[in-house]
Amino acid sequence: MTGELAELLPDVDAVTASLDGVDYLADAGLATAMFLSLRLPQPLLLEGEAGVGKTEAARALAAALGTRLIRLQCYEGMDSAEALYEWNYPRQLLRIRLAEAGGADVGEDDLFGRDYLVSRPVLEAIEHPGPLPAVLLIDELDRADPDFEAFLLELLADAAVTIPELGTIRATVPPAVVLTSNRTRDLHDALKRRCLYHWIDYPPADREVEIVRRRVPGTSGELAGDVVRALARLRGSDVQKPPGIAEGIDWVAALELLGAERLDARAADRTLGAVLKYREDQAAVRAAGLETLVGRPA
Amino acid sequence: MTSGAATFARALSRDPAFAAVALARSLQAAGLPVTPDRSASFVAAASLLGPAGRAELYWAARLGFVTSRDQIPVFDAVFGALVDGIADPAGDARGDPGASAPASRSSRPRSGEAAGPDGPGGAGAGAARGRAEVREVPVGLRASGAERLADVRLDELDDAELAVVGRLVRELALATPPRRARRSRRSLRGEHLDVRATLRRSHRTGGDPVMRLHRRRRDRPRRLVALLDVSGSMAPYARAYLLLLEGAARGARAETFVFATRLTRVTKALRDGRARVALERASAAAPDWAGGTRLGEALRRFNDGFGRRGMARDAVVVVFSDGWERGDPSLLGREMERLARLAYRIVWVNPRVAARGFSPVTGGMAAALPHVDELISGHSLAALDAVVEAIGRHR
Repeated sequence: MTGELAELLPDVDAVTASLDGVDYLADAGLATAMFLSLRLPQPLLLEGEAGVGKTEAARALAAALGTRLIRLQCYEGMDSAEALYEWNYPRQLLRIRLAEAGGADVGEDDLFGRDYLVSRPVLEAIEHPGPLPAVLLIDELDRADPDFEAFLLELLADAAVTIPELGTIRATVPPAVVLTSNRTRDLHDALKRRCLYHWIDYPPADREVEIVRRRVPGTSGELAGDVVRALARLRGSDVQKPPGIAEGIDWVAALELLGAERLDARAADRTLGAVLKYREDQAAVRAAGLETLVGRPA
Repeated sequence: MTSGAATFARALSRDPAFAAVALARSLQAAGLPVTPDRSASFVAAASLLGPAGRAELYWAARLGFVTSRDQIPVFDAVFGALVDGIADPAGDARGDPGASAPASRSSRPRSGEAAGPDGPGGAGAGAARGRAEVREVPVGLRASGAERLADVRLDELDDAELAVVGRLVRELALATPPRRARRSRRSLRGEHLDVRATLRRSHRTGGDPVMRLHRRRRDRPRRLVALLDVSGSMAPYARAYLLLLEGAARGARAETFVFATRLTRVTKALRDGRARVALERASAAAPDWAGGTRLGEALRRFNDGFGRRGMARDAVVVVFSDGWERGDPSLLGREMERLARLAYRIVWVNPRVAARGFSPVTGGMAAALPHVDELISGHSLAALDAVVEAIGRHR
């Protein structure tokens, strides 16, 4: 499989190009990170402000490889039954009842076979047949309990999962693992050590214009430019939640829908809810004057 | 390609391990936690990327060595100095090629001449009424040797006494009130019927569900977030409070931030038992160490950076500060209001509360008070018991 991967993505430029092919514009840093992550291979830990496209990066990687994206959204209290596998109890019970009714014999080995196992995302990614690796996205890992990180270590180190009744299931094609974190807490060093780390920054203005236009087809360069300039002002200002790229895309889509050709104070007033999701933020921006938000450089 | 980058690339292809180690040592000298497997990962990355220009080298090294956003500026400085700036790393292996990097920790903390805890306390004797209750401190007795020290003000302890008190302080166990966890546990009584377990149990009784099993939500301790003012006027207390939080960082898994003019996260240093290092780092980051606090600004930093992302949500937040705000009190009020909306409870520990005639009517403390659930003194070892109690109290 390394061979096929090497053929598909011989260098960083090939990664950039194939991501471009699925409408994801990656800068040199992110493309290098993905290239190394696939070829070393090593899991990739992405951090960055909310809405800079961490999740989207994994989605794009899967699309570029033409494989499945398997997503595991983390939350507090998540345990292995939700991440890994679970026995299908109702089905086991039904089997027992049917056997009883038919007077047949049912052994334990029948009941704890592969048919009665419900795969959760991690097991699914391990069992992906290939030839190219599936992309396993472990999203917002900082939300899960610290114990869950310890559980991930076996997966990240060996690409294997142990089920007591069945034994160890080893991946034929180890998945490409992408982890994201919003930094609500520090991840454990043992986990970080096994990963490549990449911090995603907000893109420079011209690239952001390009991203927005890709995602909202038919947008004029002027409108996208207006929005990106306004976004930069908002990020530089005192708002509680600086808008990410995702908000920018929503904003442009909203403006398009309303038929706005440029971003002026009136259009901004009608669509402010697409970018600013806090009442205080909206009030502050309105108080400062929407003119200054959408003003064009002289 | 700059000549420095070319030199480095050549050194890397000639003897990868050697060049990687040279870079690793520079980074280490600048304070980055570098381990051998990081160097190995850098070498692997560099060889995959092939004949390297500066950009490829940069990304290979950054992806290999950097493990957190805070490290990026230091990394950039060291990488810049090594690759663009000074010398052939292979030529100077025993030296310290990173010494000229701006990240070197030369700024020792000045031992802050305290501005003195006699601030604008005010003369009014009226008790404050907000959401807060000003509590008198119960006198709890601790083990033998320290009895004498129990009521001595923490800022009057000499170093030997602090060592004694410090040991006791470290043993104070901070525990937050529990919250309901999402996960549930099987139990005989509980709010939900556990159908699966009940069915399984019914096999023993021939398929009749004689014994009903339930599930009950588990309790988890809430997160504890401590914000510690280390400005001049608080410096004598900060030492003792840091010891308290060092214990909490390991036991109650508290998140700790220190601030004077800037906010610094010191959780990790405390968890590793390096309270002194944490204090030094904080004071190095605060250029006007003895100059007073920008409380509102520090809180805004916290709210924007960590609180909003979820750290303060439903947590018990403890602020250790004398409330002596150098900036705009109205900003402090606004930020406290934001914090109060996120947090479960806010406890404010202010050693000046114990002073006679203290009344929080002026400046920062007055602005913050309406959003504080409990205001206590914590000025002596005995008074710290009250802090422990306040942290464990339900809303």
